[in-house]
Amino acid sequence: MPELPELDPVVHGKLRLAVLSLLVGVEEADFTWLRDKTGSTDGNLGAQMMKLEEAGYVAMQKRFAGRKPQTLYRMTPAGRKALAKYVSALKRLLGGAL
Amino acid sequence: MADFERQDGTTRDELVQRIALMEKMIAEGRQSTARYGWMFVLWGLTYFAAIAWTVYLPYTEWAWPACIAACSVAFGVVRTRHRAGGTIDNLRRHSLDAVWQVIGGGIILYLIAVIVSGHGKEPDYLAAVLFFNGLANGVSARILRWWPQGVAAAIWWGCGTAMLFFTTRTEELALFVTATFCGMILFGVYAMWLERHAAAGMVQAHA
Repeated sequence: MPELPELDPVVHGKLRLAVLSLLVGVEEADFTWLRDKTGSTDGNLGAQMMKLEEAGYVAMQKRFAGRKPQTLYRMTPAGRKALAKYVSALKRLLGGAL
Repeated sequence: MADFERQDGTTRDELVQRIALMEKMIAEGRQSTARYGWMFVLWGLTYFAAIAWTVYLPYTEWAWPACIAACSVAFGVVRTRHRAGGTIDNLRRHSLDAVWQVIGGGIILYLIAVIVSGHGKEPDYLAAVLFFNGLANGVSARILRWWPQGVAAAIWWGCGTAMLFFTTRTEELALFVTATFCGMILFGVYAMWLERHAAAGMVQAHA
C-alpha cells in the first residue's frame, strides 16, 4: 500500500491557509486587508501570522503610510513551495475527487 | 482514504472544505485588484464641469485648474477611504498605478501650464488631452489584455485626431464631449458594473 502524504501542519491551519491563499495572488498585503478578508480578529490573526513568520513562509515589514504605521506581509519562496506541496498532498489524498 | 482518517483524524469533508477555502481566498485576492471604475466617472464629470465652465461662466482661464484641483481633492478623499480597508500590491496593479499616475500627472501639468501661460490654443491643447487619455487607456488595455479599454483608447485617439481637422468651436466641443462621455463616463460605468457583477457572483459562489 503506498504511503499517504503528510499535510504540513503550519499550512493546514484554517486561518493560516486562508492567509497563504490570499497572499499567493498579491505581491504584498497589509494586516488590515488580511484581517478583513479572513474575517478574523487582530489577536488571532497576529498569532497566526507569527507562526507563519517563524516557519519562514511569510516575511513581515513595517512602514509608515503617511503618519499611519502599516504592517505588510509578503509570501516567501519557502511559503510558495510549502503551499504547492500542500496542494499536491491534498490532491493525492483526495484522489479522484479533484 | 479510510487509513488517512485513522492516522490524522482529519476527515475527507474537512479536506474538501480546505480546498473550497483556498479557492474562495484566491478569488477574494483577485477581486480586490479591480476597483477602478469610479475613477473614470469622477474624472469624466470633472472634464464636463470644466468644459461647461468655459462655455457658460466667466474667468474661463480658471476653469480647468479649479476643476482639476477640486477633483484631485475628491479623488484623494475617496482613495484614502478605500485604502482604510487595507491595501495590497501586485505587479499588475503597480504597473497600472504607475501608468495613470505618470500620464495623469502629465495631463494636469500640461493643462495648467498651457492655460496659465496663455500660449496654447484651445483646439490644440484639448486634442493633446485626448491623445494623453488615449495613451493611458491604450497602455492599460495592453497590460490588462482587455479589449473594451482598447476601444476607449481608440475613441480618445479618434476624437483627438478629428479635433485637429474640425476647426469650429462647436465641433471641438462636440468631439471633446463625445470622447469624455464614451471614453470615460460610459467606460467607467461599464467597469463599475463589471466590478459589482463580479463581487455578486463571488458571494453567490461561496454562500
